[in-house]
Amino acid sequence: MKRIVTWLVLLLASSAAARAQDIKIPLDVEKLSAKAKETVEVTMDGPMLRWASKFLSADDPEDQEAAKLVANLKGIYVRHFEFDEEGAYTAAEVEALRSQIRGPGWSRVVGVRSQDEENVDVFFKLENDKMAGIVIIAAEPKELTFVNIVGPIDLDQLADLGGQFGVPKLNPKSLPKPQTKAQPGEHK
Amino acid sequence: MKSLRVFLLVMCAAPLAFGADHEFREIVHTIEGAYGVHHSHIPFLGAVMFVARPEGVSGMKIAFFEDFKMPADAADVCRMVESSLGPGWYPFIRVRSRADGETTLIYTSPSGGKMRMMIVSLEPSEATVVELNLSDRAIKRWLKEPGEEAEEQSGHHRHHDDD
Repeated sequence: MKRIVTWLVLLLASSAAARAQDIKIPLDVEKLSAKAKETVEVTMDGPMLRWASKFLSADDPEDQEAAKLVANLKGIYVRHFEFDEEGAYTAAEVEALRSQIRGPGWSRVVGVRSQDEENVDVFFKLENDKMAGIVIIAAEPKELTFVNIVGPIDLDQLADLGGQFGVPKLNPKSLPKPQTKAQPGEHK
Repeated sequence: MKSLRVFLLVMCAAPLAFGADHEFREIVHTIEGAYGVHHSHIPFLGAVMFVARPEGVSGMKIAFFEDFKMPADAADVCRMVESSLGPGWYPFIRVRSRADGETTLIYTSPSGGKMRMMIVSLEPSEATVVELNLSDRAIKRWLKEPGEEAEEQSGHHRHHDDD
C-alpha cells in the first residue's frame, strides 16, 4: 500500500513538473495586471500560428520570412503592462519573473537594448543543442512587456519577428550569438 | 428543374449563413440570460456603419447592452463567451483598463484566407458584442500589431459611445 502511495505521489509530482515546464505565462506576470493601468494580452498558438504562416506566405515576399518562422513555432504569448507612474512595479518583481526562467537549459543574454532604448532581458532555451524558445522581458519606467516564444527560433530570427505579433522591436546589433551549449541556469 | 436548383442552392447556403451567425447570437443570448439584460436596437446602424466602418471590415454585427452590470471577475464572462464560441475560435487578445474598468475580449476564427473576429467589450455599465470579417490588409495589421489594433478598436467603440 505504501508503495502505491509513493508511486502515486511521484506520478503526481512528475506531472506537476511537466506542467510547470509548459507554463506559458508565469503567475508573477499575471499578478502585475492588478497594478497596471492597462494590460494587453496577446495569445497566438497552434492552429492560429499555422494559419498565420499560410496567410502571410501567400503573397507579400517581405512577409515570407516571418511566415516561415511562425510555421514552426508552438506559441507566442505576450503580456504588456502600462502603469500610472514610475515605480509602480519594483525591481524585485522583475527579478521574481527572471527567477522563474532559470530552469535547466535556460540561459540569459544581458545588456540587450531595444530600438526604443528599453532595458531588455532575453532568455533562450536550448534542447539538444537547438533553440527551443525565447523569453523577453522589456522594462521601461512605466511599461513592462513579457514575451514567451515557444518553439524553434534563433536570435537572428527574433530580430525579424520584432515589431510583429506583439513582439517588441529589438536592435539586431545588440543581440549576441548564443552559445550552442547552454549552461543550465547560468547567466552570461 | 430551375426551382429544384434554387431550392438546393438555398438548402446548401442556409447552414453556412446560420453557422456564420450562430456564435454571435449564442453570445448575445448567453449575456442576456446570465445578466438579465436585453440588447438594444441601434437606429440607423446600417447608415452609421456605411460611413464610419473601420477600414478593412465587413459583415459587421453589433449588439449593445445598456444597464449591464459588470461582474466582479471578468473571467466569468470570458468563460461564458468561450463556451458559446466553441471549436474553431481562438482567444487572441484581451485588453484590461483599470482606469476605465473596461475589458475587451477578442477571439478569432481563421479559415482559408479569411478571418472572423468576435469582440466583446465590457464596461462597468454597458457591454458590446461585435462580430466582423477582416480583409487581407486588416488581417495583416492585426497580426503585425495586435495590441495597437485592439486598443484602437476599443477606442473606436468608446468614440461611438461618446457620440
